[in-house]
Amino acid sequence: MADPSWGKHVADVLRRNGIRLFATVPDYIVSQALEHLWADPECTVVTACREEEGLGILSGAYLGGRRGALLMQNSGLGNCVNTLGSLNVASQIPVVLVISHRGDLGEFNPAQVPVGQAAERILDALDIRHVMPRSIADLEAQADGLVKLAYTRSLPVAFLLPPELTGGKLG
Amino acid sequence: MTRATATRLLVERLTREVVVSNLGQATLDLQRLGDRPLNCYTFGSMGQCSSIGLGLALARPDVRVICLDGDGSLLMNLGSLCTIATLRLHNYALVVWDNEVHMTTGGQPTATAFRSSLAAIARGAGIEKVLEPAGEAELQQAYDRVLGEDGPFVVNVKVEKGRAEGKLDRDVIRHKLRFMTALAALPAP
Repeated sequence: MADPSWGKHVADVLRRNGIRLFATVPDYIVSQALEHLWADPECTVVTACREEEGLGILSGAYLGGRRGALLMQNSGLGNCVNTLGSLNVASQIPVVLVISHRGDLGEFNPAQVPVGQAAERILDALDIRHVMPRSIADLEAQADGLVKLAYTRSLPVAFLLPPELTGGKLG
Repeated sequence: MTRATATRLLVERLTREVVVSNLGQATLDLQRLGDRPLNCYTFGSMGQCSSIGLGLALARPDVRVICLDGDGSLLMNLGSLCTIATLRLHNYALVVWDNEVHMTTGGQPTATAFRSSLAAIARGAGIEKVLEPAGEAELQQAYDRVLGEDGPFVVNVKVEKGRAEGKLDRDVIRHKLRFMTALAALPAP
């Protein structure tokens, strides 16, 4: 049974690492982290029309001195592939990706499965370091280190949030 | 009017503005006619020029940000116009060099060569200050407003078809670091 406080833990991890700017195309799962960011007057959350647009906005903001995180479903990772490669990786622009992992354990929607199953391999193919925390303890153990690596390496990193952590979405 | 002329008329007037240029022709013209540390060149991620500029304007409200996009690229990211309208940043302007073709790939017509108007789409997205200057005098007036008034602006400039001269300098990391260093050192006015 997932601990419903996972969303606050994700929001806290991002905030305590100096991130105050967020872009999103929301889904049911990442919305549980977003609600804490929407409610925080120190945070700016931009709802993009498409995930790669959010990536462009966060990349520009980084060039202007602000750290950013993009919250989305793994279908959004599919929408972001070229921008991740040709902007963030090619120009070494770090960004933190927070991705709800649909299409895996317990998935009810066949349309979610192919990109969900490809998600880790998409990240690997772009040389984007990622973690898949399966509990809050796991998240807390890895999160600060992953965000730090993004800015040390000047490249994107990704949290893939599996249903063991989030409870997933029940069909 | 050529894109080079329209670019030159802008760069002559720049002081402390950030200019973000779209991959291909816009970046090549800007490098050749007005290279400066506060230029943010893009070389890939087609469609993202307007969004990168929007993020810069969000991060640095004390600096005016002018994006130089193309019709083909903006057509890939029309949702950006809605986000520009929603955020309503006073320091943001999007200039579109609308030559009605994909010039870099050989001049294939885009939707603006047929029935689509990017200015009308921008208005429909909710942007109030949408300008369509015709000729150099009107373009100068548009630049007066973009450089002197609160935005956001979208300026759609119909330009002649034609490839930019010269060769792109694609040293992307050097350009990025030069830009970030110059912007970080730019004091608030």
